[in-house]
Amino acid sequence: MRRLATALLMLITLAGCAADPAQPPPPAFNSTDVMFLQMSLDYIRQGEQVVALAGPRATNPRVRTLINELGGQWQSEAATMGRWLTGWQQPPSADPAAGAHAGHGDLHSLRPADIAELEAARGADFDRTAVSLLLGHLHNCVEVTRMEVAGGQYPPAKALAETMTTQRQSQIQAMLALAA
Amino acid sequence: MRRRTTLPLLTVATVGASLFVAVAPASAHGYISSPPSRQANCARGAVANCGDIIYEPQSVEAPKGSTQCNGGGSRFAVLNDNSRNWPAASVGSSVTFNWVLTARHSTSTWEYFIGGTRLASFNDGGAQPGATKSHTVSMGGFTGRQTVLARWNIADTVNAFYSCVDVNIGGGGGNPPPTTPPPTTPPTQPTTPPPTTQPPAGGTWRAGTAYSPGNVVTYGGASYSCRQAHTALAGWEPPNVPALWSRI
Repeated sequence: MRRLATALLMLITLAGCAADPAQPPPPAFNSTDVMFLQMSLDYIRQGEQVVALAGPRATNPRVRTLINELGGQWQSEAATMGRWLTGWQQPPSADPAAGAHAGHGDLHSLRPADIAELEAARGADFDRTAVSLLLGHLHNCVEVTRMEVAGGQYPPAKALAETMTTQRQSQIQAMLALAA
Repeated sequence: MRRRTTLPLLTVATVGASLFVAVAPASAHGYISSPPSRQANCARGAVANCGDIIYEPQSVEAPKGSTQCNGGGSRFAVLNDNSRNWPAASVGSSVTFNWVLTARHSTSTWEYFIGGTRLASFNDGGAQPGATKSHTVSMGGFTGRQTVLARWNIADTVNAFYSCVDVNIGGGGGNPPPTTPPPTTPPTQPTTPPPTTQPPAGGTWRAGTAYSPGNVVTYGGASYSCRQAHTALAGWEPPNVPALWSRI
């Protein structure tokens, strides 16, 4: 529901601009582009907590390799995303107010309790928890990238979303094989 | 003035509606990753041509009470198709099922079935699951190839999430088959045909096959012994993955 509300808010803003003849032509991006970047940045920030914990600590070298690869990709993606949002004069997060993620949206996020559970896990259980958390998280990331591919407007953002979808899907495949 | 506000609002409504369709898969919540469920086998490429389920194995959501792998309805019907060569994991008489969750909904129960028999039910009393969710379930005397249906019943909606897991009970589990025949007791006549997914001893390595420790395969003219249970993927050929295969 929060996503929808955010989307509608964006649309109202954009529609308002477009309706005013004094304003320049509508920008080359749409609300889906903005939502994709803001939500992906949120997801990257959450996922980076798992990377920071599990990158060094995972016992299975294949898990470590996967996590470190993911961390590197997230870092460069976040830099690009932040640059676009700044260029468009859009905030880096949909709603910086505290508690903005309360309600349904929170269900699709990594909670502090999840990170704490990972931190407390030991041995094979640690790897299993890390892979399980990341699998769920990457599925959520892919939902947002696919939304952008389907509904975005800014070609470089759509291209980024396509690359991210492909990379995340192959990481999901590798993690599912590890989890099997 | 009135007109000028009506049009943008209409636009908002229309685009909002179409956006809602695009975002609709966000209702996704979870599935069993291990032993791999049918949707997990699709998502990891062990079974081909599954359609959109590969992007959202967590989305098999339908009203509670169905006994179908897709929860009924027409979406993800591929999951009901028993003619697909679903890999069956070799398991023992009790199995630990691990879930991947993408949204941690408050939960009434988790149920596990084989055929019409309910093997287990776990009552969470409306609690939200933690970071991970696992249940260890007795296979209740079932043997051979079976399909376990798992239902995650959400506490505050009418829906459940469905996962079917193909297993081969008594097909080796995590233990290599004994090298010496069992002593005193004569082997009982099996009531089911020998499991089809058990790789033949000394067979050629093949992607999509479930291997257990002790299984021996040939690849590129050499023999390899399996080191840990896994289902083979393209790219995981024995010489490439020393963690899974050791050369004999």
